[in-house]
Amino acid sequence: MTGDSNASGLQATAPAQRLASFAVLLREHGLNVGIAEQQTMLKILLLVGVTQEKTLQAAWRAIACHSQREWRQWQDIYQRFWHPESVRGSVKVSGQTKSSRSLQQQVQAMHDDMESAQQPSAAKSAAQSAGEVPGFDQHNNGLGDSSERAMGGASRVEPLHSREGQMWLPQDLQALQLLARHITRQLKPRTTRRWQPDVHGRKLDMRLTLRRSVAWGGALVMPCWKASKTEPPRLFILVDVSRSMESHASLFLRVARAFALEASARIFVFHTSMIEVTPLMQRDSPAVQEKINAVTAGFGAGTRIAASLKAFARRDARAQLGSNARVWVMSDGFDTDEPQELAKALEGLTERGARISWFHPTREVPAAAALQQARHRIERFIPLASLADLKAAAHQLH
Amino acid sequence: MQSAGNQDATACVATTVTDARALREQLNRAGYLADDDLATAVWLADALERPLLIEGDAGVGKTAVAQALATAQGAKLVRLQCFEGLDMAQAAYEWNYGRQLMTIRLQEGQRQLQDGDVFHRDFLLERPLLQAISQSGPCVLLIDEIDRADQAFEAFLLEVLSEYQITVPELGTLKATHIPQVILTSNGTRELSDALRRRCLYHYLDYPTLSREMAIVKSVLPQANSRLVEEAVAFVQRLRQEDLSKTPGIAETLDWIRALFQLKQTSVVQDIAVTLSTLGCLLKTQEDRFALSAERVRQLAEGGRSVGVAEKKQPVQHSTASQA
Repeated sequence: MTGDSNASGLQATAPAQRLASFAVLLREHGLNVGIAEQQTMLKILLLVGVTQEKTLQAAWRAIACHSQREWRQWQDIYQRFWHPESVRGSVKVSGQTKSSRSLQQQVQAMHDDMESAQQPSAAKSAAQSAGEVPGFDQHNNGLGDSSERAMGGASRVEPLHSREGQMWLPQDLQALQLLARHITRQLKPRTTRRWQPDVHGRKLDMRLTLRRSVAWGGALVMPCWKASKTEPPRLFILVDVSRSMESHASLFLRVARAFALEASARIFVFHTSMIEVTPLMQRDSPAVQEKINAVTAGFGAGTRIAASLKAFARRDARAQLGSNARVWVMSDGFDTDEPQELAKALEGLTERGARISWFHPTREVPAAAALQQARHRIERFIPLASLADLKAAAHQLH
Repeated sequence: MQSAGNQDATACVATTVTDARALREQLNRAGYLADDDLATAVWLADALERPLLIEGDAGVGKTAVAQALATAQGAKLVRLQCFEGLDMAQAAYEWNYGRQLMTIRLQEGQRQLQDGDVFHRDFLLERPLLQAISQSGPCVLLIDEIDRADQAFEAFLLEVLSEYQITVPELGTLKATHIPQVILTSNGTRELSDALRRRCLYHYLDYPTLSREMAIVKSVLPQANSRLVEEAVAFVQRLRQEDLSKTPGIAETLDWIRALFQLKQTSVVQDIAVTLSTLGCLLKTQEDRFALSAERVRQLAEGGRSVGVAEKKQPVQHSTASQA
């Protein structure tokens, strides 16, 4: 891309305004770009100039990105915003999946809200079927879209809305959150070989006590205590959002979200590829549901569980998989990879010490060939089709 | 935007871009071949007086950036190697109790001691963070493997990284007279706090492309045979695509080529037995060594990859794209 083309793009509107729009897009993709970052980006823009696009982009990237995930996202977001012509015709999903609504649609939405207010119970059912917490902004629902086809299990249109037994009331969501908190407390922390200073410790820290005593001329007037150091388990939740999971993924995503908030779990969704959605799950903003819809847009595609797990071990959690890692896979186990590949992929996780639990939506363990061959790698199978199932399985999750 | 500016603004643009480029050339001269993105990030960190957090796998050259930067700018390198249990006394400062006691004993019976007599800068043992802040000249502070330190230590770092100051309760706040260039590195073994991340500029250092890695090797080992370098680097690039538990970094590539050079090899395929016997330079776990059969090594050395029963030649892409 030439500097000229970029310059024309930037000069179309006031730079600060364009940059603010870009910052909004970055935020929608989960990047922490606040006012301070925006100001720094503007400062650099004025300093470097629009003609030096490569330098400018590198500088903005260093300012706006704060993690590897954001670093990898950057190029796509940048191209999409500043050079939409270069990505025309691609099938990649951006954060802007919500179509703009006409005035008529907005008025209709207001009428819907008023009706909802008059029929609280019905409204709650509909709203909570979208998997959102109370207070979710219903304007951001996208109901006005011409297509009411669900983009993901978290959509409020389908399949939850039309299914009995899957309506989520506020008390259900609260119960889920409490259950997630309870299970999180149950997850046993790993005791390391290290010790750490602890005023309530029961062992005398001789080295520190002697060190402290120097300040009093060697008199042991202030004993220091230590306790063994523990590390909370690292929880990774991998949710299958392929077509076969269309009716179950919404529940799994809600469960995952509860653990993202309570246990700081890292959440990934996969179908034919894998993507991390942790930042979206941790945020309680009205746009969350839209974003989840965007990343689960692979509904309708097949499932490559083995390949996704390999990517997870190799790329996403490479440095964090150890004996302290708990990997919860939420899937029906139907895999389009070769059946033996799943066992190999799981072996790659267990070899590093990770403990694997497999949550399946059916009563019995799925009969999928891949899963049957990999059974010995999985610590436990847990049926999960409702909140009651999770409650029943709580004692197994430790 | 530029139209709004005047000629001064244009001059400013030229200066800043040249600075980023000049920094890249300086790093090159110091033996570190940085790409444009990295050079810009380092330059920006200096210009904005912000710390730079560099993440990436082990062996991609994160630590070397700081070392090269210090060499390039003739700055003092102060290194804080993080580890589990690192505390303030080891990272920032500690009172020299022995000296304080001696002073107290010497003053006994002479006059009434004041706090200032023993809580003075002279009685402070400077650890890396305080050393960096106290420098009167240019300084590069390398906080290496920050992910190995405890979360509590991260909280302590926030003051140092945002204000470039350390508060000593007995003395007050010690501010930097010359802002050091701070580079933090992380292997990603644990998630760093958002507060720390937001105080830093960020750069993710990936494995180098073929062309860049070749340039790095040729720069470090100019005496090595060109054919050997090209084949060996291409081999390592293919090896990184394998499912290994420890992916070889640039340091491993250099070690391996050095070993082959010492063994007077002119090509990777010249003697597969020698190639196999030196693979320990690249593969650091028994599991990886076991996973890579002699046949697979031969395929990788010859640039082939097996697909079912057929074997296809895999052309090497001489990419000139940036590392990221």
